[in-house]
Amino acid sequence: MLESLQHLFAGFGVATTTVNLTYCLIGAIVGTLVGVLPGLGPIAGIALLIPATFGLSPTTALIMLAGIYYGAMYGGSTTSILLNVPGETASVITCIDGYRMAQKGRAGAALAICAIGSFIAGTLAIFGMVFLAPPLAEAALAFGPAEYFSLMVCGFVVLSNVTGGSIVKSLMMAVVGLIIGTVGLDPVTGDARFTFGTTYLLGGIEFVAVAIGLFGIGEILSNVGKPQAALDQSVTVPRLKELYPSLQDLKQSIGAILRGAGIGFGVGLVPGPAPVIATYASYMVEKKTSRHPETFGHGAVEGVAGPEAANNAACQSAFIPLFVLGIPFAPPTAILLGALLIHGVVPGPMMISEHPEVFWGVIASMYIGNFILLLLNLPFVPLFANILRIPKRVLLPLVMVFCITGMYTVNNSIPDIWVMLLFGVIGYTMRIGGFEGAPLLLALVLGPKLEVAFRQALMISHGDFGVFLSRPISAFFLAATFLFLCVPLVRAAARRWQARANPA
Amino acid sequence: MSKKIVLSLVILTLLVIPAAAPAAFPEKEVQIIVPYAAGGATDLIFRALAESTSRYLGKAVVIVNRPGGGGTVGFTEGAQAKPDGYTLTAVITPVTILPHQVKTAFTYKSFAPIINVVDDPSMFLVKADSPWKTTKEFVDYARKNPGMITVGNSGAGGGVHLVALAFEKAVGARFNHIPFAGGGPSVTALMGGHINAVSVSPPEGIAQVKAGKLRIIALFADERFELFPNVPTVKEQGIPFSMGMWRGLAAPKGTPADVVKTLHDAFRKGMEDPAFKKNAHDMSVKLFYLGPQAFEKRMAEDDQYFAKLVAEMRK
Repeated sequence: MLESLQHLFAGFGVATTTVNLTYCLIGAIVGTLVGVLPGLGPIAGIALLIPATFGLSPTTALIMLAGIYYGAMYGGSTTSILLNVPGETASVITCIDGYRMAQKGRAGAALAICAIGSFIAGTLAIFGMVFLAPPLAEAALAFGPAEYFSLMVCGFVVLSNVTGGSIVKSLMMAVVGLIIGTVGLDPVTGDARFTFGTTYLLGGIEFVAVAIGLFGIGEILSNVGKPQAALDQSVTVPRLKELYPSLQDLKQSIGAILRGAGIGFGVGLVPGPAPVIATYASYMVEKKTSRHPETFGHGAVEGVAGPEAANNAACQSAFIPLFVLGIPFAPPTAILLGALLIHGVVPGPMMISEHPEVFWGVIASMYIGNFILLLLNLPFVPLFANILRIPKRVLLPLVMVFCITGMYTVNNSIPDIWVMLLFGVIGYTMRIGGFEGAPLLLALVLGPKLEVAFRQALMISHGDFGVFLSRPISAFFLAATFLFLCVPLVRAAARRWQARANPA
Repeated sequence: MSKKIVLSLVILTLLVIPAAAPAAFPEKEVQIIVPYAAGGATDLIFRALAESTSRYLGKAVVIVNRPGGGGTVGFTEGAQAKPDGYTLTAVITPVTILPHQVKTAFTYKSFAPIINVVDDPSMFLVKADSPWKTTKEFVDYARKNPGMITVGNSGAGGGVHLVALAFEKAVGARFNHIPFAGGGPSVTALMGGHINAVSVSPPEGIAQVKAGKLRIIALFADERFELFPNVPTVKEQGIPFSMGMWRGLAAPKGTPADVVKTLHDAFRKGMEDPAFKKNAHDMSVKLFYLGPQAFEKRMAEDDQYFAKLVAEMRK
């Protein structure tokens, strides 16, 4: 541990040179921009800037590109809070309470809490990286297809009713998400499924199109349906002194931020859609542990703070498998791996000993980067919050343009825009029927991964279903799922039995 | 009134036509469609090549990623682009595989090959503590225990999956093929001991082999790998089998021959640029130049081969 600290100090020496500080700042600024714009995510941002790093040293290049990645996590929640437009998987949950807060004139508080939560979680996760990286990365390898399947079943069952409305409606939406997730190439045989002979559908239904459609476009459409007067009154314009969170907000959030950081750090080590599971799980935990669960869904500050912290911690801990094993668990780290390869640094078991200046320099730059991001984001809060002063009849068409251009930049695809608009209409009808979009999106992300893991596990075991129970980690998750489903039933039955026993 | 309009339109057209006469190619930036996600091996190598070639072409070369459907989405768009030389496609081995597997709007014949850039060996890796030490031990075990060795690949019907199928056919064995969503997850599963071997193409798994966590158990190349000169090819061990994964550039069919030549000359210079060579070396990618005719021949041969292989796999 002492040795780690020594290396870290040397890393600070590397990270604080003028050149590296400058590129860290550039990365943080680009990351924030990329995060704020819906559609344009960290992957596209990093890919665009890779050629610009060809002339730089590997350390400087990685400092900047990593800055874009975690910087995007800061900006990602902005459009969720202000406009109900989730720019990426990680900020879907932030829409629920963040947007409600903004509608009540508390956009500034929500945005500031996001930045503060991200900073605390990011910094804690870096500490985790420094001291725990090697053993944690090895532990993550214990997750094979069977464990992965059971983890996702557990996540699926526990998290699909995340918003807490009708269970039946949530499960219905989850099933719709699962069905949509089957479109495209069969992951095991390579056959085309439900593509109706079109090339476009071979690629599956784009997640961002569904997310922006259900949340953003759906919200615009439901506003269009309101009478003019109601529309102008629907948003409480933020007052100046309320632009920053109150002490009360901070007190309420700190627990959520710390719990979120823990959840995010742990989940970020598991291969796959870590940001989704981490943010949904954090929201669920906050709601269950809160003393006022009824405020969730109506602008609870913990419902913004927890998931946002979880998201940032997951983003930081995703660097562990990349650096220690040389294996990217998620697309943004995959592209960072590529950037390192092109600079002749091969991440992997040898990286820390072969290129200590890169590893420790980048880690130290992350501390600095997180601090820069906090300083960068807080002054933007009033600016962004004031967007809500724009009358809705002007703002909504602008948001529409914003959504369409943002959608195009994800895959440079026109059909994606049509899919987004179609899901906008679906989102609008879902609102009328009281159906939630969050379970559908969860199922859309987890469904295809769940299917692949299930089939892989059975192929490896030659069709023996026992594999899910004979492996301890897998059995643990399945047992947890079983308990989660049965405990409420048993309790209800016990209550009924008691009521019948003593008909007072 | 309307006569005047017609007249002025005619005059305008006459004025415009000479101005639109063909100028020297290229007049504007050239884009390369990469049918895979940003950050993958294909994406990175063409980003580096685009960077070095811009100088020789005189105009910027930009990368556009069109991922989806194992490459189908991008290949289709590239094949259907205007054949004017401004929209090129990064074509890699699956362009000769996909049309046999799913209904596609393209075959390799929809493209006019420009240049082949990369020819990577493919290989099988096992864990360092695996009981098999040589290709022979591995193959013998596979022959005696059909369907028992699990071999991961980066996606059903993808290049390395077909390599594994072709290899089992060549040696008369049968593996249990497990598809993953990309080379990263398949190597992870091997590291965790969830599968017995994995079929990959560099740079996947190279770092782990270097670190001594994984071992090359079978190398399907004509010559040894310069990074690991001690690993013999399967040919040297008496198994007549080799299969590489190529990556090159193509324009849509119908692109004028002189435009193809201009592009070929520029990309060839880009390939020989020291900065690009260093990038390729650092990524452990094996550069392999082929001109338009030779590249077309290679594509035609592979197309025939994979047509047969996929048909047999389907049985």
